[in-house]
Amino acid sequence: MTALLEIRDLHASVGDTPILKGINLTINAGEVHAIMGPNGSGKSTMSYVLAGRDGYEVTGGDILMNGESMLEMEPDERARAGMFLAFQYPVELPGVGGMSFLRAAVNARRVEAGEEEIDQLGFVKIVREKARLLGVSDEMLKRAVNVGFSGGEKKRYEILQMALLEPTMAVLDETDSGLDVDALRIVSEGVNLLRDPARAMLVITHYQRLLNHIVPDYVHILAAGKIRKTGGKELALEVEESGYAGIDDAA
Amino acid sequence: MPGSMTQPDMGAVMTDEGVRADALARWQQDGWPGPRVEAWRFTRVDGLAERDLVPATALSVAASSPDSGPGAAAAASISAHVIRFENGILDPSGLAALPAGLAVREMLDDEQALSRLQQIAPKGHPVSDLSLAAMTGGIVIDVEGTVPSPLMLLFEGGETGASAHPAILIRLAPKAHLQLAEWHQSDVGLAAPLIGVDVAADARLEQVKVQAEGVATTHIAATGVALGEGASIAGFSLCTGGALARLETHVALVGSGADCELSAIYMGRGEQHQDITTYMDHAVAECTSNQIIRGVLDDSSRGVYQGRVHVAPDAQKTDGQQMARALLLSRKAEADAKPELEIYADDVVCAHGATVGELDATQLFYLTSRGIPFETARAMLIEAFLIDTIETIENDTLAGLLRPVAEAWLAGGKDL
Repeated sequence: MTALLEIRDLHASVGDTPILKGINLTINAGEVHAIMGPNGSGKSTMSYVLAGRDGYEVTGGDILMNGESMLEMEPDERARAGMFLAFQYPVELPGVGGMSFLRAAVNARRVEAGEEEIDQLGFVKIVREKARLLGVSDEMLKRAVNVGFSGGEKKRYEILQMALLEPTMAVLDETDSGLDVDALRIVSEGVNLLRDPARAMLVITHYQRLLNHIVPDYVHILAAGKIRKTGGKELALEVEESGYAGIDDAA
Repeated sequence: MPGSMTQPDMGAVMTDEGVRADALARWQQDGWPGPRVEAWRFTRVDGLAERDLVPATALSVAASSPDSGPGAAAAASISAHVIRFENGILDPSGLAALPAGLAVREMLDDEQALSRLQQIAPKGHPVSDLSLAAMTGGIVIDVEGTVPSPLMLLFEGGETGASAHPAILIRLAPKAHLQLAEWHQSDVGLAAPLIGVDVAADARLEQVKVQAEGVATTHIAATGVALGEGASIAGFSLCTGGALARLETHVALVGSGADCELSAIYMGRGEQHQDITTYMDHAVAECTSNQIIRGVLDDSSRGVYQGRVHVAPDAQKTDGQQMARALLLSRKAEADAKPELEIYADDVVCAHGATVGELDATQLFYLTSRGIPFETARAMLIEAFLIDTIETIENDTLAGLLRPVAEAWLAGGKDL
């Protein structure tokens, strides 16, 4: 079986600084993987490299989705192929209406899949339904994208986008950052609803607490640009107790 | 000075005296400003003197199809009454069947109207003199009460060797209200409309202007506005056309409590040159003015905003704002902004600002990371940059004329 996502000996730099120094990771459909690591370990770089952001240059290795290399694909092409990144810091888009943004994204995906574009009325109905589950209010939907949203609202809005786009490979970059306990619970429930045998998730986090809510199948410890240790969900608890100290030595 | 533009056929100026003869004399003395004239430093027009342009003299309305163009369609969409100029020459059919509250007649040799137009017109502006002298068609529009439907002044014509000099005086009686659309879409060599607007006490003019001239057309517009006590104007210009275009508006706030909103969007690509120049003269106390200018420039296009706000010593409690922002879509595009404040009163609130920037890479990445194609994402962000400016237009009917023009530009189409 071809892996949904396969990262092979991935090296990447930002400017002249090498950040990722040989990542190997295989994720199959239906699996939830967590990447934990200290600040500066390369976690966010990895999420941006997967999404194809400009300025994050792959200097070696490959990223394959369903066996096809993504390296030559633009961010929009990757997204339409099923990649989704939930941003650590969702971007405010003043003047861009929320509903037209969501519809443009969903229709781009539908056109790629050879489906018909969805009309405004039908779309509003779908969005309302999913928004209710995630505690995204009508008022938020009417505003410009992420403008005037609280930290928790922004994260819920990311998960709403994920629910609408139905990606096969979802990367969640520090989705827990800036969330209080209640917001964390709502966001996690939203993510758990999207767990699916056809979908894989890569949950990037600094803290173990998110993984109490989104329970992973595998946990990887990233430090200094390499995966130093891989285990089951219990590895997250180990890190919680003894910290990241000592992980480097284990490599 | 060489070239026919400096010696226009002045057969229409019958006498040696009067407003038009004086204008002709000034024009013959001054001509087009050279590059050393500060107000024209960013926008060079002295080349016009070399062009073999002749003021249009014959109306060929019969040969055209006035109801079929984009301007006529836009007018129909808002049920506007249309007064049409072709190559700068009045199509007199527009003077019939006017909506209630409007009286329109040809200006001809009405010295009083000519004199008032000359007084209100931008001082020292070449078109203020040239288009009075070479006037190809002139009308006086008198407005009483609230005019129920919008008026569109439609400027068309395909005489590439012609210069068009329509001259228009609009007088709003006290408490009158007019919705006015100007639609400029021609292929004339030079479009040089001269417009004077006299807004009496407590009257209000809501105005939009679409400048969608042909790719080879030079558009130099001079507009003068006088606002009486409690009078207001809400003006908005959208400029997408022409090879070189300058919209210059001078507003005299001469009655206490007058209010002026004067905003503009310019969009350029290729080698286009777009210039928005304003002079806001706060002559008396307790007047407000607000200008929001947005420019989008692609390829090697150039945009200019010059805005001067003058506050006279007696003009206490003045509120004068101007904010200009330009978005450069290409490394070769260029924007110049020169907001100026001249304040001689001490109790005023005035602010100006100007920024020039590029599209935000993080915002583009966010949109494309959702699968939205790059070009679509770019258009969404440009539209977002412009949208809040269009949304400041209170009159939805008039605002509705502008959106399709801006969208057509964003879609890359030269045709509206």
